[in-house]
Amino acid sequence: MKGTNPFAFKFNTMALVLIPVAVGINYVGKLFASVLKLPLWLDSVGTILAAMLAGPWIGAITGLINNIIYGLTIDPGSAFYAITSVAIGLTAGILAYMGWTKNWTLAFLMGLVVALVAAIVSTPINILLWGGQTGNIWGDLVFAAIIARDLPLLLASFTGELVVDLIDKVATVLVSYIIYRSLPKRFLIAFNNENKTEKF
Amino acid sequence: MKVYTLYVPGKTYIHKMNPLTKLLYLAVAIAIPFIAPDPAITMACFLIGIFILGWAKVLHRVIYLLAMSILFISTIFIIQGLYYPGNTTPYLILGKLTFYKEGLIHAMVISFRLVNIMISASVLVLTTRPSDLISSAVRRGISPRLGYVMSSVLQIIPQMATTADTIMDAQKSRGLETEGNLKTRLKAYIPLLGPLVLGSLVSAQERAMALEVRAFNATGKRTFLQNEEDYTVSKAINAIIILALILTIIWRIYS
Repeated sequence: MKGTNPFAFKFNTMALVLIPVAVGINYVGKLFASVLKLPLWLDSVGTILAAMLAGPWIGAITGLINNIIYGLTIDPGSAFYAITSVAIGLTAGILAYMGWTKNWTLAFLMGLVVALVAAIVSTPINILLWGGQTGNIWGDLVFAAIIARDLPLLLASFTGELVVDLIDKVATVLVSYIIYRSLPKRFLIAFNNENKTEKF
Repeated sequence: MKVYTLYVPGKTYIHKMNPLTKLLYLAVAIAIPFIAPDPAITMACFLIGIFILGWAKVLHRVIYLLAMSILFISTIFIIQGLYYPGNTTPYLILGKLTFYKEGLIHAMVISFRLVNIMISASVLVLTTRPSDLISSAVRRGISPRLGYVMSSVLQIIPQMATTADTIMDAQKSRGLETEGNLKTRLKAYIPLLGPLVLGSLVSAQERAMALEVRAFNATGKRTFLQNEEDYTVSKAINAIIILALILTIIWRIYS
C-alpha cells in the first residue's frame, strides 16, 4: 500500500470486512500447514497480508481480534499473545508502507524484522507466565541449553523464542509476499485506506 | 462436523449469567495469583473455579483441556528443577541429573498459575456462546462495527474451512502432490492457500458492497434484535469480584 500517511486512521467498509477474512486466512493457513505436515505454524499469513493490503492499523486489529477470538473459542492461552500479534501486524504494515514488498530480498528482510519484533514482544509474556519457556519443543531445548550454562534468563528465553519465530515468521512473510504479488491490482487499490480510485 | 468452539450448551445459572461478569471474573481470577504470589491463594482461586465449573456441569471438559497441558507442565518441572537460577538444595538425584528443591517449588508456582489460568478461562469459554459475549460488549459501548467484525469471524471460519476442503480436493484432482518429502509438501502450500485468499477477497468485496447498501455506516443509535436478559444479580456478583481484587491488593501491600 502507498499513501500519504501510514497511520491514517480511516476505516472504509472494505478494510473492515478484510479483518474477518484475514483472521480466516490465519486459521486456514495453519490448517493447510498441519495437513501438509509442515514443521511450521504459518498461523499469521492473514495478519501480514491484511497489513500489506490495508496498512498497519488493520494489520494490528486483525492480530488483536485473531488472538481474542482464539482465546474465547479454542485456546484460552492465546489471548495473552494478542500483543505479539498486534506487533506483527503493525511491523508488517509499516514496512510494507516503506516499500519492503518490492522484491524478494526486501520481503526476506521483512520476515527477519517481523521475527525479531515477535520474539522481543513474546519474551516478557513467556517469562511472566511460564518462567521463560516457549511452549515449543525446539524453543524449550534451546532455552534449557542456555540456562544450563548459567546465562541470564532473559537471554535464554529470548533466544529460545527467536529460534522458533525466525524460521516460522520468515516463511510466513514470504508466503504472504508471494500471494500479495499475485493478487490482481484492483484489490490493492480497493483495500487501500486512501480509496481514491474505487469508491463504494 | 468439526468443532470450532469449546462452548458447551447448558441451562445452569452459570450459563445464563451475564457474559461480561464472567469476563470480569476471568480477569480477576488470573490477576490475583500474580498480585499475591502465594500458593494458598492460587489454590483458593482454582478451587473456586472448579466449583463453578462443577456447578455448570462442564468439569469433564476441563480435564481434557488440562490433559493437553501435562506435557508442557512436565517440561516446566524438568527445566526449572534442573536449572532454576536460585537452585541450592539438591532434592532428587537421578543418575547424572540433580533436581533442586527451589527450582521444583518455583515450577510448582508456575504450574499452579497455569492450571488456574486454564480453569478460570474455562469458566467463560465453556459456558458462554461467543456471540452472546460480543453482543453484551456492544451493549456496553463497544463499537457496533467492531462487534460486527468479531461475530463475522465466528461465521467466516467454518465457511473458509469448508472452502479449504474443496480447494484441497480440486488441486489434488489436478495432480497436486500433498504427500512426499518436505520440498514437495512445501511446494503444495501456495497452490492451496492462494486460491482461498483470492476467493475470500472477492467475497469480501461483495460483502462490503452489500453492507454499504444496507446502511452499515449509518450514524445514530443501534437497536438490538433480542432483548437483553435480566442480569440484576450480576451487579452484586460484579461487586463481590471487585471486592476480592481490592482485598488482594490490600493483602499485598500489608504483607
